[in-house]
Amino acid sequence: MEREEMSFDLEMPSVGVIKGVLAKDIEVVGEKVVNLRTCARPYRNIYSVAQLRTIKNVIERYGSGKVHLSPRHNLEIPEVRQKDLDRALKELYIAGLFPGGAGTSVRNIFTCPHWCPKAVRPVQELGMMVSANFADRDMPNKVTVSFAGCSNACSRPQNTDIGVIAVGRVGTGSSGCPDGCTECVEACPFGAIERAGRGVRINDKCIYCLKCVDACTDGMLTVEETGFRVLIGGKEGSTVRFGAEYAVFAGDFEVLEIIERALSSYLKKAEFRPGSAKKKERLGEVVERLGLEEFMKAPPA
Amino acid sequence: MTEKKGDRAGVVQGRLKDRVVLRIRAFEPYSSEFTSEQIGVIADIAEKYGSGVVHVTPRQTVEIPDIERSTLSEIESLLDGHGLAPGSTGRYLRNVIACSRWCLYNAVPVSDLAARLNNLHAGSILPGKTDISLSGCDFSCVRSRTSDIGVIARAEIELTDKECKKCSLCVKAPLGCQVDAISLSEGELAIDADKCVRCGFCSNVCRPGTIRVKSTSFDIYAGGRGGMRPREAVFYKNVGSEEALIEEIGAMLQRYAEYGREGDRMADIIEKEGTGFLEG
Repeated sequence: MEREEMSFDLEMPSVGVIKGVLAKDIEVVGEKVVNLRTCARPYRNIYSVAQLRTIKNVIERYGSGKVHLSPRHNLEIPEVRQKDLDRALKELYIAGLFPGGAGTSVRNIFTCPHWCPKAVRPVQELGMMVSANFADRDMPNKVTVSFAGCSNACSRPQNTDIGVIAVGRVGTGSSGCPDGCTECVEACPFGAIERAGRGVRINDKCIYCLKCVDACTDGMLTVEETGFRVLIGGKEGSTVRFGAEYAVFAGDFEVLEIIERALSSYLKKAEFRPGSAKKKERLGEVVERLGLEEFMKAPPA
Repeated sequence: MTEKKGDRAGVVQGRLKDRVVLRIRAFEPYSSEFTSEQIGVIADIAEKYGSGVVHVTPRQTVEIPDIERSTLSEIESLLDGHGLAPGSTGRYLRNVIACSRWCLYNAVPVSDLAARLNNLHAGSILPGKTDISLSGCDFSCVRSRTSDIGVIARAEIELTDKECKKCSLCVKAPLGCQVDAISLSEGELAIDADKCVRCGFCSNVCRPGTIRVKSTSFDIYAGGRGGMRPREAVFYKNVGSEEALIEEIGAMLQRYAEYGREGDRMADIIEKEGTGFLEG
């Protein structure tokens, strides 16, 4: 069916300044093309069937019939013909898909899926709040924020500028462990739990992953409290850096407050990289230069 | 290696008792992309058997939640003929991921290589979970440096006798060198070999052809890991061609399968004893 020119009165940013329209000055069959990086807004780590069908239509009609899954929940649509870009953007827009997640800004927030039975605490709503407040906001350099619902850390929060991991403290109050039972000791990846008398003792190697609680078949171990570990200054790419721990057992609002403070500190304190006049430091480099405590102090008003 | 009892590739237990999550990966034409036809099939399955949503995983697979276990065989038959298959879990080799083919920074586009490796080794059961990630340049968006086997494509550049027009495109933002390895001081083009990450991007913007790619190769990194105890990979070796890369990765997987005890990730072995065992 031939489609008539659609007329929309949507407020659209003009092409060329849209984040996520990855310019590419090449010609495919005589036509200029661009690559589009899209993400769902308001942020979701899931795409609905309707959104998938929109993507399908857009890549068939305006693209090259393929879509690339990026490691940050984005769907990248390559080779959209320049002349069709406006129409493609509008169709995506209606389905709640927006270009974004590129350039020196806060990239698409990354959370693990809500159906995972391993999650210690849900992180999707937090991710959505951070996304609503900060996604695509301009920054000195790229900033990635990831949330993980358990210490298995599928979303790799250790390697992102700001990483949040849900953790839990183990209660070892009981004293009825069966003789010779070492289920929790074997399950601990860090050697942080050991048998002591009729119970167990936890040493300072513990990272609060709760693997021992899962392993305990006698119900001797309990979860005392849950919260979030916040890691700051990690990165991945040309160099790998693991984030430094800033808080453990932070609550939801505390996490939001820390993220806001880290981002505003970063905005004020980032400088150009030594010997470079065009690239600013990544968050981790600022932390390295100033120290984590100094970096996280509220910037002068 | 024998299959663990009840181990079904690509099926993960969901939060609800009788519901599972099905992970789907693409084999044809690429492991890192889906075609419109494949997207349509996935949308249909999510609508009919799932709850109408899909999750995009960081290993370029798609997860469909809330599927009834009894419908799995039916769904698997729907995937046949579309280049799709249930994805990997447990000790199966994970989806081989690659960065996008159309990225400007690619020294060598690696999607085809990833698809080939995926077809060659998918379904191998290894001692532990194994990730293979292929990056087209040093920036390694697909996290080659924290994968069990990470590949980074390199382009060695050289200066030719073609006259430099001093346009400084290769120096200035936004298209210029991302790591400031090129300088144009006093009209003389110089490349700092220490800073250069060998992405070859400067040769793309150089109109007169003063800078050109001499040769391409692949750096293999081994022993990285994400997750609970993240670890950075170490440089293992450089190979000169795509065929050599395919062969080398095959050999690495083979030796790892022979040497590793069940439960040992490649990263665990390398952490303890270095990469010696990979040499054979």
